[in-house]
Amino acid sequence: MSESTTKRFYLIAFIATVVAVVIGIQMFRIQHTEAASQLLSEGELYEGETRIVYPDRGSIYDAKGRLIAGNETTYEVALDLNSVSQPKTIASVASSVLGLDYSEVLGYAETEPGNGNPYYRLLVDFVTADKIEQLETIDADYRSRDTKGNEVAPSIDGLVWVAHSQRSYPEGELGSNITGFYSFLDRTGGNGYFGLEEAYDTQLSGTPREVFLAYNPQTLSAVEEVTPGISLVLTIDREIQAMTEEALDEAIEWSGSEGGSIVVYNPEDGSIIAMASDTRLDPNEYWEYGELFPDPTPYNAAISKSYEPGSVFKVLTMAAALDSGLVDPDTRFNDTGAFTIGGHTIYNWNRGGWGDVDMTECLQYSLNVCMAWLSTEMGEQTFYSYLKNWGLDRKTNIDLGGENYFPMKLPGSNDWYEVDLATNSFGQGISLTPIQMVMAIGSLANDGKMMAPHVVKSMIINGVQHDVSPVVVRSPIKASTAHDITDMLVTSLETEASNALVDGYAIAGKTGTGEIATPYGYSSTETNASFVGWGPAADPKFLVYIWLEKPSISQWGSETAAPVFSDFVSKLVVLMDLPPEESRLVNNDDWYGE
Amino acid sequence: MEKDLLQAYKQAPWRTQIQRVGAFLLIVVVIAVIAGLYLNISGQSAATGRRIQNLESDLANLKRENNDLQTQLGEIESVRELSARLDSLNMRPLTIDEALYLEVPGYIPADGPKLAPPPVIKAEPSPVLLPEFTSGFVEWLSQKLQSGTTSPTDEVQE
Repeated sequence: MSESTTKRFYLIAFIATVVAVVIGIQMFRIQHTEAASQLLSEGELYEGETRIVYPDRGSIYDAKGRLIAGNETTYEVALDLNSVSQPKTIASVASSVLGLDYSEVLGYAETEPGNGNPYYRLLVDFVTADKIEQLETIDADYRSRDTKGNEVAPSIDGLVWVAHSQRSYPEGELGSNITGFYSFLDRTGGNGYFGLEEAYDTQLSGTPREVFLAYNPQTLSAVEEVTPGISLVLTIDREIQAMTEEALDEAIEWSGSEGGSIVVYNPEDGSIIAMASDTRLDPNEYWEYGELFPDPTPYNAAISKSYEPGSVFKVLTMAAALDSGLVDPDTRFNDTGAFTIGGHTIYNWNRGGWGDVDMTECLQYSLNVCMAWLSTEMGEQTFYSYLKNWGLDRKTNIDLGGENYFPMKLPGSNDWYEVDLATNSFGQGISLTPIQMVMAIGSLANDGKMMAPHVVKSMIINGVQHDVSPVVVRSPIKASTAHDITDMLVTSLETEASNALVDGYAIAGKTGTGEIATPYGYSSTETNASFVGWGPAADPKFLVYIWLEKPSISQWGSETAAPVFSDFVSKLVVLMDLPPEESRLVNNDDWYGE
Repeated sequence: MEKDLLQAYKQAPWRTQIQRVGAFLLIVVVIAVIAGLYLNISGQSAATGRRIQNLESDLANLKRENNDLQTQLGEIESVRELSARLDSLNMRPLTIDEALYLEVPGYIPADGPKLAPPPVIKAEPSPVLLPEFTSGFVEWLSQKLQSGTTSPTDEVQE
């Protein structure tokens, strides 16, 4: 090879190297410009999409496993504007099937996607499955049509529907005071309100998870499963709940009451068997809440509306007096009909004196004077320490959202007067919710042990059912005291031939008529009628608390709440499979006809 | 002489060409096989990916269907529906006066529904080998001395 040829080759090599280096530098520069990073980020949009997957909200079942709250499929209907070919057909179908405005849908469907316009436009959400079936039928019909020549078959291409879950309550209003509701119309920011939906909102919701769904089939992988929300099994028995709500509605109508509540509680473990309050909402239509519950109507009066309970409270005063050793059931008291304290005079309900009575008779005749004497003799420290031990100065912490309480006036505070020691003893001047009364009185029916009221029996977490253990809050009184007060109340009801008696069953119970405070003193015409009773007395399986607010047929609890209790418990024992003491228990031999 | 020898042992030009072409073709075939395998594997991977996606979609649909069926069952068995059916059959709730109770010795009523299995208590795995075989002689001896365990021979002596 000649020297000149060699030089030419070197020149070409040099030029090629320079060009390669320049290209390399240019490649490096282009990849690191702002435009390149923008292009890269835009490219990532086409790699896939990041989506937040919301787990199914946990279901709620009653004590026998029947569904109270679950989920059902609903659809969102939208326009995929890249695929729209016949806007008028889409508008016509959307208008006729979904009831949407024709011109509005047509306007959306004719919009060119891009340049600031969306590619996907939501038309309507929460469309039912039957409407979607109609759309599918129309779509299938259009696709099956044969066309001739230039004729174009109608098409709803571009009208899309996507399924998602929606909270559903198959029982409607039943037990809605307990379940509360979930604002399912807000798909990303829904919340549970009141009852279980509020108290267990976090657990029921589960944890939403952000997942990346790749479009590139090479990078596709199984989406990590999102753990569903925790499901709840309740202590509530649906049949008893239905009967309780029906009984309450009938009682309110019969007695001409403004409202009321019934609570059925198992004193042995604190489980709530049924709980009904007068105003109920169908959680499937929770947007009616504002209309049904104008301020300050509580969602569940049984746990959030306090009132002066009146004479039902006497069972607690008597239990405290017995437990502190001040009296025993046979202690005598001379009732003169009046008791003066702090410059005020306390009278009995009939303004009469009942003379020489024992403690059972004090309860039987519901003597205010006797109770005032007991609380005064106990002294404020002993009396109020019992009330505090019964948890009457705080919430019960029942596992339902919306619980409320009224602070108790205590000695030493500015609003407490000496006369309160007397009036509190018979349930006046003290404001309590039914659930506070139920928990406290439950200790009298459970050997002195006070159980935390609860509605959840077990939780299903990741497919495993975990039972919730009953909680003993404390033992405010001795077991012997609980037995004594139960016996006294059984005797007093039977001796009195009360309207609350239930044939065949020994029931311990007490009526209550609470006067209602007004800005001008206590009302002489309006009262709160109550009854608390538990049975079978030997081994209590239920405690029923009834509150009727301002009954109009009679102001007395003995004439309103007591007969309601008797009627209610007659049905309750059948539903709870509780045989009477002896009389109706069939001998096996009789059953087989021998 | 030397030139003659080189010429005598040198490969024929056509043979060298064939060897080069053969080597090139071999490389091409290897690359083609690798490419084919790669295409095959990537095709299978893509198909599997799509299948996973479809199965996930099916799974989501089945879950929704399951929820729907549960809700439908709940509605059919709701108190409202059952009451209407009972009314249509002229049935009414049992009253306290009509209830008869039969004593069944040994019968224990069911304790609520079991909608899911209870938690399993994880038992500590029991050691397969006795401590005598897993610890050294000195450790074993010190443990025995500390615990004051008597040996079978001691018991016999007593």
